[in-house]
Amino acid sequence: MKTLRVQGTLRKQGKSAFGGTTGTLAAAGGILLLLPLAGLDPYLLDVLTAGFILAVFAGSWDIVGGIAGQISLGHAVFFGTATYACALLTSLAGWPLWAAALGALLLAAAVGAGVGALAAPLTGAFVALLTLALGELFHEVSLAQTFFNPQGGYSWGGEGGIPVALPWAEGSPWFAYYAALAFLVAASWAMLRIARSEEGLIWTAIAGSELNARASGVDVARHKRRAFLAGGVLAGASGVAFAVHVGRATAADFSIELSFQAATFAAIGGRGTIVGPVLAALVLHVLFQGTGISPAPRVLLYAFGLLLVLRFFPAGVAGTLIERARAKRMIQAKGIGG
Amino acid sequence: MSALLVAESIEKSYGASRVLRGVTIAVGTGEIVGLFGPNGSGKTTLANIISGLVRPDRGRIVFDGRDVTRLSMDARFRAGISRTFQIPGPYPSLTVMESVRVALLCGAPAREGEERTPERIEDELATILERTGLTAQRFWPAAKLSQGCLRRLEFARAISCRPRFVLLDEVFSALSARDGEELASLLRSLNRESGTSFLLISHNPLILEEMCCRVVAIEDGLIRWEGNPVDLPKYVPAAAGHDHDHGHAP
Repeated sequence: MKTLRVQGTLRKQGKSAFGGTTGTLAAAGGILLLLPLAGLDPYLLDVLTAGFILAVFAGSWDIVGGIAGQISLGHAVFFGTATYACALLTSLAGWPLWAAALGALLLAAAVGAGVGALAAPLTGAFVALLTLALGELFHEVSLAQTFFNPQGGYSWGGEGGIPVALPWAEGSPWFAYYAALAFLVAASWAMLRIARSEEGLIWTAIAGSELNARASGVDVARHKRRAFLAGGVLAGASGVAFAVHVGRATAADFSIELSFQAATFAAIGGRGTIVGPVLAALVLHVLFQGTGISPAPRVLLYAFGLLLVLRFFPAGVAGTLIERARAKRMIQAKGIGG
Repeated sequence: MSALLVAESIEKSYGASRVLRGVTIAVGTGEIVGLFGPNGSGKTTLANIISGLVRPDRGRIVFDGRDVTRLSMDARFRAGISRTFQIPGPYPSLTVMESVRVALLCGAPAREGEERTPERIEDELATILERTGLTAQRFWPAAKLSQGCLRRLEFARAISCRPRFVLLDEVFSALSARDGEELASLLRSLNRESGTSFLLISHNPLILEEMCCRVVAIEDGLIRWEGNPVDLPKYVPAAAGHDHDHGHAP
């Protein structure tokens, strides 16, 4: 009987590491659903729409850099690949938007698999250096590469970027807002499912101790490749959404700043929690873009915010809260088991 | 007794330092063999080579008649060779339960006639935790465990997939007398019930005398002595004498 009771408890508690986060997300989603009805001006609606997409990008970084512990400083590579593929396939190749979006997603997945294959044998700082170098390479190529503009006038590419041929002349900001919100909810659900899955558990183990994982029979390189693939697909999806939203792919989509921003959101929100980086990206983007703070003071504010969070929430806001909840559960388990 | 694991003529150097110089050691099925030697004698390097963490310069590892020298550490774990580390390196953010579950998910090969359902994994997990006395700590993050619990977790991970051979590197160090006795009793029962073979690495002759059928003494990267554990006190390490020969077997 004792064994049965213990087994029952184990099964019941097995999925509790991220307990309560789905409820928090649902509540936040409800507020965001009603927000446009409060009469937001189109600029703020646009800022929030971009914020939802950026939040998915931050979550995708957390899959690779937080859950799997592979610090990617070139995560914008997957984002930029998708935005450029969308632009090139619609404007140059003349593909319909849906086909271009699918192609962009597949290309981002291929780049994710490629980066994963290169990063899999490496550990720690070497993964960061490799991804940083790849990010810079893609950024430089996107800056230098120009394309013949079939419509005449200036060539495409470089700083100015490439337009995305959209099937509509002018989109509705309301529709864009709700579509981006639906995308954020669906992507967050998918990312939390991944984090809670057996694969997510194995990634967390690799992040904790590669040696211990190898001694437990984990094929570390194979699982690292999978993490990069998943991160690449999700970052690619956010790239597609961004390209459709702004109607253009630019070299900034590959920038190191974008990769660093994702890493900063994760550090502030809590690495490996998914919800933390997603919320941090959303809140900080809306706060800084919505209030019209110019880029230079924005960087300073990011840095100041990061210092404050690291001082009071060493594992990020969500990370520290989860740690505290775990400590509480540990005391309760001690009381039951002890 | 047939040899389950044979490390044959193993040589390993790090730069100019020759750590192992043609070591051969065999462990039979169901045997508990002790590997004795002072610090720096090459015990841990040999353990790393047997478990697949380090590749030897020369020599081979044969497990159950199969040459596994080129297999990685994770592949050897799945094949039935398991190990613990002298200094446990747990997954800090995972709980005890999750840490063992990782090994069960990745390490257990689908055994003939056994279906690896999630329920079965949970059942095995509960049994291992109960057997190693970790049920009460199952929700504790590994980072919060005491040294004794960490050792038990390390042992739980190592035996989780019912290995045929387990390499225990200084597993009794930093354990209280009670924890040590419990671990020794578990080790003996696994050996008796499942026929699991153990290579027990220690520099403590009392533990080896108590636990092992046979003891092998290593020094300066060479096997210096092999025999019955009760005769271990008769073994005089070469380093103890004044005629320390830096590398030649007596």
